Amino acid sequence: MLELVIFILLLIFALIIVIKSADIFVDNLIDIGGALGISQIILGVTASAIGTSLPEFGSAMIASLSGNVDMGVGTVIGSNIWNIAAILGISAIAAGVIRTDSRGINRDSLMTLITGIILIVFMLLGDINWIASVTMILLYLFYLWLLIKSQKEYKKGKDKEELANEKTVKQPVDKRKVLFVIIGLAGLIIGCRILVYSGVELARMAGIPEMIMGLFTLAIGTSIPELVVTLSSAMKGLYELSIGTILGSNTFNILIGIGMPALFMSIPVEKLSLTFDAPVMIFVTVLLLFLVKTRGKLTRVGGIILLATYIAYAVIRLTVLV
Amino acid sequence: MYKKILVATMGEYIDEIIDHTLDIIGEENTEVIGLYVVETSVPFLTLKKVKELMKEELTKLGKEILDSMEKKFQAPHRYKINFRKLLLDGDPSEEIVKTAEKEDVDLIVLGTGKNMIDKRLLGSVSEKVVHSAPCTVLLIRNEMKTK
Repeated sequence: MLELVIFILLLIFALIIVIKSADIFVDNLIDIGGALGISQIILGVTASAIGTSLPEFGSAMIASLSGNVDMGVGTVIGSNIWNIAAILGISAIAAGVIRTDSRGINRDSLMTLITGIILIVFMLLGDINWIASVTMILLYLFYLWLLIKSQKEYKKGKDKEELANEKTVKQPVDKRKVLFVIIGLAGLIIGCRILVYSGVELARMAGIPEMIMGLFTLAIGTSIPELVVTLSSAMKGLYELSIGTILGSNTFNILIGIGMPALFMSIPVEKLSLTFDAPVMIFVTVLLLFLVKTRGKLTRVGGIILLATYIAYAVIRLTVLV
Repeated sequence: MYKKILVATMGEYIDEIIDHTLDIIGEENTEVIGLYVVETSVPFLTLKKVKELMKEELTKLGKEILDSMEKKFQAPHRYKINFRKLLLDGDPSEEIVKTAEKEDVDLIVLGTGKNMIDKRLLGSVSEKVVHSAPCTVLLIRNEMKTK
């Protein structure tokens, strides 16, 4: 019993380290980019999506490299289902409405859907190997290029005066920021290692499959940053940041969270992942698109439907399909 | 009747708030302070860059709202109104009350219209202001929402 409590505390401690390290890493990396005059590349919603997804990516990477591949894949797919069905569901219920009428959201939701379908296609072809990995990473780079392009177009539309004020000037890189990037990265690696270790041990003690541990405990834990950003921005009326963070995170989780580990090792496909978890991930994405397309916004009723879908998925997965 | 009025908005019900305030003022010489409060509180574990982004976006929104207020209150035929913009950071209800005390206003004009569920989940700025305001408070009910 004492051992169980210790590992639960260790898991919580590791989660806090991972999330804070990801914050320090992204924050200082963007500042260094700013000093080099390239801060415009990763801005706003994109920075939020990547920053909030680093815990999932780190956990998936460390889990896969340490031989717990099921847990890694489970964390990514579980996070993506949780992000859309539960986080957006909870946020829409709390905020009353999340408006989704911007062009950026159309682009990001389409990309999230395409990404999920690509993952299923690779899963159907067998293990996720380096060819799939390279394809996914290249696709993410293409998506980043699209984001940068649209950002430049947006800037063109701004006043010249405003543009002149925002012009980034190359400055010497602050060495302390480089040090913080390294500390953030080290914290992320160590935190993820402890997180995966405690997750594996807890799964062993409770007698549950590692996949389940990844799909729920690690997936929900590593998605805390998405939850706080999405919920608070929805309540403040910053809808693009709210929904954009979730859609960007889901795309990053699959293309980089699975694509990057697959570069180092072939990732075996578990049957239930292919026949149930991944299809549910696609289903909740399509459900979200349907809910927002019919009314141009995600309403409280839509939020209840999404959250109910997540509860139904969790009940079926944890009771019927274990 | 009211010489100094504080008109506070978070962006909702802005047209109704302005119309009602103008009705009250009539042809009197009146000082109007337009207030927007950028709500800076974020939950624990929010990324620093996201926190900065939220503040930046809300400040931008606040400026736009205050500019639109200025246009209406400073229209040429409203030469008797002396309008001032105020953009603050912090907890909206606290800042509204503090500003009302500091500026010694006679009236606070606010919007209201949340249903019971929204009040429970999102909280109500107007309710908090009503309880601790140092002067008269006029709550403008959003007709669209209550219908």
